[in-house]
Amino acid sequence: MRSLVSAELLKLRSTRSAWIPLAAALAIAVIAVVASTTAAGPDGNPHLSPAALPGLLRASGGQIVDGAVLLCWIVLSAGEFRHRTSVTTFLGEPNRLRVVSAKLIAAALTGAAVGLLAEALSAATSAAALSAHHVPLDWSQPGVLGAVVAVPLLAALFGVLGVGLGLLLRNTAAALGLALMWAFVIEGIIPALTHQPGTTRWLPEAAANAVLHGASPAATTLSAGVALAVLTGYAAVLAGAGAALTARKEIGTATG
Amino acid sequence: MSTIAVEGLTKRYGTVTAVDDLTFELAPGRITGFLGPNGAGKSTTMRLLLGLARPASGRATINGRPYSELRDPLRQIGALIDPNVFHPGRSGRAALRIAARPARIPDQRVEEVLNLVGLGSAAHRRAGGYSQGMRQRLALAAALLGDPETLVLDEPASGLDPEGVHWLRGLLRGLATEGRTVFVSSHLLAELAQTVDDVVIINRGRLVAADSMAGLLERTGASSLEDFFLGATSPDARPADPTFSRSRSLS
Repeated sequence: MRSLVSAELLKLRSTRSAWIPLAAALAIAVIAVVASTTAAGPDGNPHLSPAALPGLLRASGGQIVDGAVLLCWIVLSAGEFRHRTSVTTFLGEPNRLRVVSAKLIAAALTGAAVGLLAEALSAATSAAALSAHHVPLDWSQPGVLGAVVAVPLLAALFGVLGVGLGLLLRNTAAALGLALMWAFVIEGIIPALTHQPGTTRWLPEAAANAVLHGASPAATTLSAGVALAVLTGYAAVLAGAGAALTARKEIGTATG
Repeated sequence: MSTIAVEGLTKRYGTVTAVDDLTFELAPGRITGFLGPNGAGKSTTMRLLLGLARPASGRATINGRPYSELRDPLRQIGALIDPNVFHPGRSGRAALRIAARPARIPDQRVEEVLNLVGLGSAAHRRAGGYSQGMRQRLALAAALLGDPETLVLDEPASGLDPEGVHWLRGLLRGLATEGRTVFVSSHLLAELAQTVDDVVIINRGRLVAADSMAGLLERTGASSLEDFFLGATSPDARPADPTFSRSRSLS
């Protein structure tokens, strides 16, 4: 299994369209901290305080990293069929479920690593920015540890979601389009379409936000633990469906 | 010594029977040409053999096992199914290193096969910029990565220039001389006639002939492989005339 995971990670390193979103997300993580700390104070914005640290860590590494890891693994997994590299992949390891498992492990590892790196960069940038504003740093305050754990965990789950979606649709453009449509359109209109505003909190984006930011006081979101379980469920369902389709479908045809 | 055995292999796509009760066995140390008109089922048979597609019935085995049950398949069988199976954004070297990882084949072997197929100096370039012939050589390099006992090559000469075809002929002969089983499909009948020891000919998914080249010509009285092929695969030819099959086993 280790050699298969290594092969998947080598695919990532050698595919520019896959790692550029990750590099961009890390750069944005730093820029977001700089922008937040620079904007603090003037024009009615709240002044920086020690309590700003957890917010800086969450905001810089959260959804941007999740989205980048999702896009990266959609490109890699659906791209296997677009570029017909699936033929080489399954000639090297004919047990298709082992290949899918390797992809899922590699995606989760990538997400966790990029999430941790984003948090490390955010923490370093936050520390420098807060020090420059003579704001004392308090790493032990509530929310810091949660952000450092939640961001890599969410990114790992979004990596799994990306592999599942890519294997399920087997079409890079369709999978990317669906992911973007879901994030920017579909999840927002589902409550209106179903006339059930309470359904929102059970949807993936809302669940990810709940994990990152915790439950709202108005109880319109899930608790972090339940939201994590919900998101894990989505990842498991997509990964399972992708694995089942990959095990069943032919390889090397026009669609595979 | 490695053997390929195909027994009662049948594959259907909807109402179309692409491979119909196909049975043959290949001998080690020989080059076997796999011939048939377009749509005869050659590529489908090879994909069934390599576990990329599943048969409706029958089985195809390598050393007695289906491809899906082989341990370290790249070290037992090398396959060239399609030259366009490489990510256009990856270098030839990266593509082969990725292919080599599952079998724990060292990078040194990647360099060896790149040099063997004449891509050593172009290995750093992206595969998307390769000519058709270069992609064919890269696919051949991937097939050779594990130094396998058996080679399954679908149209390996496609896209190669005359020098490349000459080089390929020598390479295949050398591999067979080492005792390897070489199974190669081609439309280039004249070229194939110079290269192969045995032939398996199919038409409309069914076996037409499985024999040695010399045996086939002697038995049928045909003046050449092309002469026999055109007669046996014409639209009004009877499918699977047993007269043409000395034995389904070429062993």
